[in-house]
Amino acid sequence: MIEKQERLTAKKFWQELAKGIVITNPVFVLVLGLCPTLAVSNSLNNALGMSAGVIFVLLGSNIIISLLRKITPNLVRIPVFIVVIATFVTILSLVFEAYLPPLYESLGIYLPLIVVNCIILGRAEVFASKNSVTLSIADAFGVGFGFTIALIIVAFFRELLGTGGLEVFGKQLFSIPVLAESPMSIFIMPPGAFIVLGLLLAFFRMIGVLKHE
Amino acid sequence: MVSEKKTGFGTKILSNKIYPIVFLSIIVFVAVLLLMLVNSFTQTKILAEREAKVTTVLQKIYPDMNDFELKEDIYIILKDGDVIGYSIIAVGKGYGGDINTIVGLDKDYLVKEISVLSNTETPGLGTKILETFFTDQFKGLEPQDVKLSKDGGKIDAISGATISSRAVTDSVREAMEEKLEIIKSNNY
Amino acid sequence: MSEAGPSLITIFIGMVLVNNLILAKFLGLCPFFGVSKKITNALSMGAAVTLVMLIASIATTLIYRFILVPFKVEFMNIIIYILVIASLVQIVELFIKRTNITLYNSLGIYLPLITTNCAVLGVTLINAQENYTMLQSIVSALGGGIGFTLMLIIMSAIRERLEFADTPKSMRGLPIAFIIAAILSLAYMGFSGLI
Repeated sequence: MIEKQERLTAKKFWQELAKGIVITNPVFVLVLGLCPTLAVSNSLNNALGMSAGVIFVLLGSNIIISLLRKITPNLVRIPVFIVVIATFVTILSLVFEAYLPPLYESLGIYLPLIVVNCIILGRAEVFASKNSVTLSIADAFGVGFGFTIALIIVAFFRELLGTGGLEVFGKQLFSIPVLAESPMSIFIMPPGAFIVLGLLLAFFRMIGVLKHE
Repeated sequence: MVSEKKTGFGTKILSNKIYPIVFLSIIVFVAVLLLMLVNSFTQTKILAEREAKVTTVLQKIYPDMNDFELKEDIYIILKDGDVIGYSIIAVGKGYGGDINTIVGLDKDYLVKEISVLSNTETPGLGTKILETFFTDQFKGLEPQDVKLSKDGGKIDAISGATISSRAVTDSVREAMEEKLEIIKSNNY
Repeated sequence: MSEAGPSLITIFIGMVLVNNLILAKFLGLCPFFGVSKKITNALSMGAAVTLVMLIASIATTLIYRFILVPFKVEFMNIIIYILVIASLVQIVELFIKRTNITLYNSLGIYLPLITTNCAVLGVTLINAQENYTMLQSIVSALGGGIGFTLMLIIMSAIRERLEFADTPKSMRGLPIAFIIAAILSLAYMGFSGLI
């Protein structure tokens, strides 16, 4: 009996994980958390740093909110969520400033703005405040990875077209000589973010991954 | 499970009218305490990191340096007690935010080398201000020549990144003009 | 940089045109793509955001200058700012409900959304980052709000017409809205020489 229940939880764990990544991908399907997706996707480095930050905050806030779900009064639920999320964001910001100063600088105000990332507050309200800690962890990883994948795809195109090469953690992965000589800088500037995300959404609809409106 | 174990006492607390406010206050209190703790750990690290970064850059600009003094935001570079140069930090407004540049001057008050300490410019575009083809142009210049060529100076802007180039150039010139006066009048 | 910092006009033009919150800083995108299909809605939303932005900027600048900086706890700004904004939104909502019911009916539904609008928190964080004085913060909030409203109106006007255009099936809705934003953003880059 207990074994069966455990297997059931394990199955649900993987289901929640997969759901966040594919079926309800926060960026491509739900179109949430656009500010960071567009703002920090100008390089793979920034995209990876931001994703790590979002996963950390999402995990922390989902765990705490799920733990507190039975004693949190409904009336002050949203302020409690906000305080918990803001605390994790501040910890993240302090740790980045101390240990990864270049990343801290290039993320700028988008690091504290994780607080108002609709994805995180949304998960707190919709999922963590109603489900067990284990499932909330699965949900955090699922949604977090979904966000990461979306951010990496956008950043991949922007950095490749905008600089003619790809670079991760200071290491040049590869570069296209013709493009590197005269890169299409527009792609790492704000308009490029809108173009890439718009075309990606249209492409996913065309090949049938996303539904038409 | 937990709800089954809930005692009468527990329900009484949960349905109390002031409970929400007490609960929120406790959460805020714990959060503030936790942040104070984390901050006390990271703060020393942040300051040490910043100090170390400046020292490394100075060491690179002045390989002969074996000591420096900090007076009125001016780093006085010393070699065996003799002044061999001055360094100042210029702060400019770039496209993405502040750009901090260390300006290394020789003892004749000409630019020896500049090095961008921190910036939030667009990666791959504005961040070209870090590259030597841009920073090398500053070598040996007097303050009045530290201007973009389109403003009548001797620095060529990075194409596509004029705002970043101008931010560095103008902040370096302004910092030099301001601090050189202090250096000269105090005879550091 | 001089003590006084940039002039008020520079801040204002910067916030409205050059560093437009939506097009250059990507702040407040949810209402930009979500709400903006009717011009009247765009105007109401813009007005509500501008109002909250202005009050929040005044409050957070006071807190930053007189509490956070003197006690050296600037790192607390995220948690304090978001709480200030959340409570301000509640107070403004209550106040408008009591005093002007017509205004409440047109603004009311947008107000709760503003708490999680990154544009408001963004502007207060920019004010702190740039160490703006009270007057500079007010001008930056006003500029930010006006720039935001302007963008909402332009976007809603374009999308109203777009309803009748023959857009390819896959591009309908959001994708084409992103492409429009890209073109607008491209046009706005032309303002970058202004400051």
